[in-house]
Amino acid sequence: MAEQVISPDLGFVKEVLASGGGDLKKCYQCSTCTVVCNVTPDAKPFPRKEMLYAQWGMKDKLISNPDIWLCHQCSDCTAHCPRGAKPGEVLGAVRKMAIKEYATPQSLGAMVADPKKLPILFVIPAVLYLIIIGALGHLSFDKIPRTPEGAISYSKFLPPTATVDTVFVPVALFAAFCFFASVKKYWADLKRTDGAAYMPKKDLMTSLYETIVDIASHRKFTECTVAKGRKTAHMAVFYAFIGLAVTTGLAVVYLYILGRPSPYPMYDPLKIIGNISAVALLGGIIAVISNRFDNKEKAGLGGYYDWFFIGIVFGVGATGFLAQALRLMDVAIAAYPMYYLHLIFVFVLFAYAPFSKMAHMVYRATAMVYARHTGRE
Amino acid sequence: MEKKIGLYVCSGCSIGESINVEKLATIGKNAMKVPVVKTHAAFCGKEGVELIKNDVATEGVNTLVIAACSPRVKFEEFDFPGCIVERVPVRELAVWTQVPQSKDAQMAAEDYTRMGVTKVQKGALPEPYQMETSKDILVIGGGVTGMTAALEVANAGYQVYLVEKEAQLGGFMNKLYKQIPTDGMYRKPLIVDVDISKKVKDVESHKNIKVFKSSKVEKTEGMPGALDITISTNGSSETVKAGAVILAAGWRPYDATKLEHLGYGKFKDVVTNVEFEELSRKGKILRPSDGKEAKKVAFIQCAGQRDPNHLPYCSAMCCATSLKQALYVRQNPDATAMILYKDIRTPGRLEYYYKEAQNDPGVMLTKGDVTAVNDAGSGNLYVEMENSLFGPTAKVEADLVVLATGIVPVTADEPVLNLQYRQGPGLPDLDLFNGFADSNFICFQYETRRTGIYAAGAVRQPMNTTEAQEDAAGAALKAIQSVEHVAKGVAVHPRAWDLTFPDPFMTKCTACKRCTEECPFGAIDEDEKGTPFYKIGRCRRCGTCMGACPERIVSFKDFHVDMIGSMLKGVSVPSEEEQPRIIVLACENDAYPAVDTAAYNKQQIDPAVRFIQLRCMGSTNLVWIADAFSRGIDGMLLLGCKYGENYQCHFAKGSELASYRLGKVQETLDRLMLEADRVQMFQLAIDEYDKLPTMIKGFVDRVKQIGPNPYRTF
Repeated sequence: MAEQVISPDLGFVKEVLASGGGDLKKCYQCSTCTVVCNVTPDAKPFPRKEMLYAQWGMKDKLISNPDIWLCHQCSDCTAHCPRGAKPGEVLGAVRKMAIKEYATPQSLGAMVADPKKLPILFVIPAVLYLIIIGALGHLSFDKIPRTPEGAISYSKFLPPTATVDTVFVPVALFAAFCFFASVKKYWADLKRTDGAAYMPKKDLMTSLYETIVDIASHRKFTECTVAKGRKTAHMAVFYAFIGLAVTTGLAVVYLYILGRPSPYPMYDPLKIIGNISAVALLGGIIAVISNRFDNKEKAGLGGYYDWFFIGIVFGVGATGFLAQALRLMDVAIAAYPMYYLHLIFVFVLFAYAPFSKMAHMVYRATAMVYARHTGRE
Repeated sequence: MEKKIGLYVCSGCSIGESINVEKLATIGKNAMKVPVVKTHAAFCGKEGVELIKNDVATEGVNTLVIAACSPRVKFEEFDFPGCIVERVPVRELAVWTQVPQSKDAQMAAEDYTRMGVTKVQKGALPEPYQMETSKDILVIGGGVTGMTAALEVANAGYQVYLVEKEAQLGGFMNKLYKQIPTDGMYRKPLIVDVDISKKVKDVESHKNIKVFKSSKVEKTEGMPGALDITISTNGSSETVKAGAVILAAGWRPYDATKLEHLGYGKFKDVVTNVEFEELSRKGKILRPSDGKEAKKVAFIQCAGQRDPNHLPYCSAMCCATSLKQALYVRQNPDATAMILYKDIRTPGRLEYYYKEAQNDPGVMLTKGDVTAVNDAGSGNLYVEMENSLFGPTAKVEADLVVLATGIVPVTADEPVLNLQYRQGPGLPDLDLFNGFADSNFICFQYETRRTGIYAAGAVRQPMNTTEAQEDAAGAALKAIQSVEHVAKGVAVHPRAWDLTFPDPFMTKCTACKRCTEECPFGAIDEDEKGTPFYKIGRCRRCGTCMGACPERIVSFKDFHVDMIGSMLKGVSVPSEEEQPRIIVLACENDAYPAVDTAAYNKQQIDPAVRFIQLRCMGSTNLVWIADAFSRGIDGMLLLGCKYGENYQCHFAKGSELASYRLGKVQETLDRLMLEADRVQMFQLAIDEYDKLPTMIKGFVDRVKQIGPNPYRTF
């Protein structure tokens, strides 16, 4: 067995401390966290060794380690740590650093993680759409055409094909491409770190299928004992997003195949799915926020990175729901700006998905597949 | 003095309900011919005490036998200065441990009363041993411990002679770069300046302290109270008179050349913790090999310690020291300090120091077994570990390695005291304590096996400077107590009230020297003709010499061979064949208190036994066994404190000697057709009182099995 050489990287330690793992150095390796963790595999348990690696600045052992993604941030470990080292937060910080590390391009990754760059992230879509709306002459609301019945129509405010899809489709493709590149790098690193020990135990398709089942059922969430409300909250948001994706798909069909632009009547199946999803999204994200405050003492409130993500999701849900409401109430002066805001939030959600905490959906899934694949479970 | 005996029989504490108190009084008056015999319902009450005081004042009673409760209670009530006071524990031994109103209980009460009266008839009021004494105190060692002890003693008003082997005072603290905060709060800054110079100045300017630098103790002669100590300084000698000695000679580092596997001696960049401390004083930490600044320093804990091949013990201060030295490394913000440990031992409040030191991002710690230090090839070193949290094997790259080596007490190398005692120049049995000047003296840790000599600091036990200063204060107090006691002719711990002293009848001495060899404290020397003589100041009055002497020439005013022999002979022997009579000799330190405690817990003890208290089992004279068996006693049990490696014997060796002597007597018993099993010795600790009744019953059953004493007359 090749003997590993340990040469600590002090810079990495300081980075973890600054990224949200501020109490890292309090850990004295008692292993209470690992004993308490219900989602840790028996063969290579976490988070004790991750705490050790983080304390010793062993970057390569952490960033490309699937274990940091097998953790579901339930905070049982943080709640039981006798020294207050907050292992859950440390792992969260390492995950953030991992996303930054694999981000392609890296510059965008750095920007998303930096609170000072927050205004720039929003300014890009804000200015873009101001220009578009201005070009259409729709900055004065009375110039905006309405439906034959005289109701507000967002597709008349900003024509979907010309002004929405032309922006969002490339953005989505860009995000997808970035995800693909990052995951490819990550998967290669996973294999490289295991090195000679890499031994596939299950084929990829079965691993993928089983992971999808796990995610769909949110099975792992039931294992955590401290922050109990997380399962419901996360499931709501998760399925809400799926629902909204279905809604969007339906909208594409309606527009391009059936030739029916929005607005759609409330009894339309698209609207029903969409509204249920919206309620689920809002309910879910509000539950997420309230859980965080409830568990503040035991698990901590979270940092910028967490709240950026929560903020975006909440923003998307709130602006979307309000846009519909204001349209139905025919308050033009608030409805059009609300729709504009909604577009900004959705843009931010998509464009920066590979670099924000949103990326967890891809990294965690990849790690879970890898874990199944190499028999780590 | 002309003795007038008064017998006072108490009927309180249910004594009166369990036995016939009047009968005891009658025995005292008629059979024992006691002139004054009184009974009362509660002698410890105001009325009872007044009654006795009145007898002392008006009737001329000066020898009191109080048949009531154990001598271990009510000593303030039964304090009659100038009188002999004997406490007969009727309550504990005849009432609480026996069946009330039974024949056995009555017989026991009568036996104990008879024994008590016999004892005072044979004893006398002690007169203290007076001699001219010095109350000056010698302190050996001028480090933090010695200086603290010297200041404590000097500030209490006593003259101190401080002997230091180096040219300046301060000891190891002179080598420190910085120290751990001393206020116990451990907030930043976590390394503070060392200020030993203030203490040195205080010592050197104190009017009660005379300092001898570059000096060693050449000889210590005499005895506590009258010690003649010869101090040699650079060739010339001076003799001072002192009353007690505080041994604070300190330690030296373990010889790291023995740690070859850790690279010491092989690589220049492997240093000990003491060497690292000296390295750090230069400001920047530079590697010895090329003078470059060290950026990755590895600390190997328990280097040559907790290891059967080197030091088997832990040196208590190295973990905290390594944490402190890690912070020295961190004075360079780019450097890392890596501590590799078996355990981190920072007891008490030092845990907070550990927490604070660990919070520094550049101080890294992990558990593992360090197996070797090897060349990394690049000018750096690899520290190889097994069973670490990184995996089964791992190696840490470092550019400087610090071995946390341990403390070796100075007494492991040389006697230091150079006592001119027949038993030897140093403290005996130091191998029991890995060379440290320690002892198992119950509850008094500064005591050693040489009376009047008190050990403190790292020479006694591995410890840090804060603990050493506390130790120094404790030893100083003991030394002061010792000189005051000796001046009054009173013994020291553990018989710290005793005015008696051994008074041998030298005419019958055969100079066999058994007493000289066996005395645990080396209190007996021998003259040119080989005749032993006592140095009373060294004596702790245990009576081991009395037990050892085959001619029975040693006696104390209130404790001698004939006294116990007579008490034994006064015990009743039952007329029925099936009822044995057994004598239990119990030492007053652990064994008898265990009996008392069993009694307080109302545990029943077999009525066949009669307890006799001795000062120490070492005072057991074998003639008592002959006396007892000739009287018709069926068995004898010796109860003493535990002896051996973790001894609890309050006089260090007494219990062990009794056991050894017993081994010699088995053969004789066999020849006399008395089964060896009739005499046995058990070890008992005070907390094992609950085992006592079973122990005794087991012995009684065995004796019953053997059968009655063939010499018993019916």
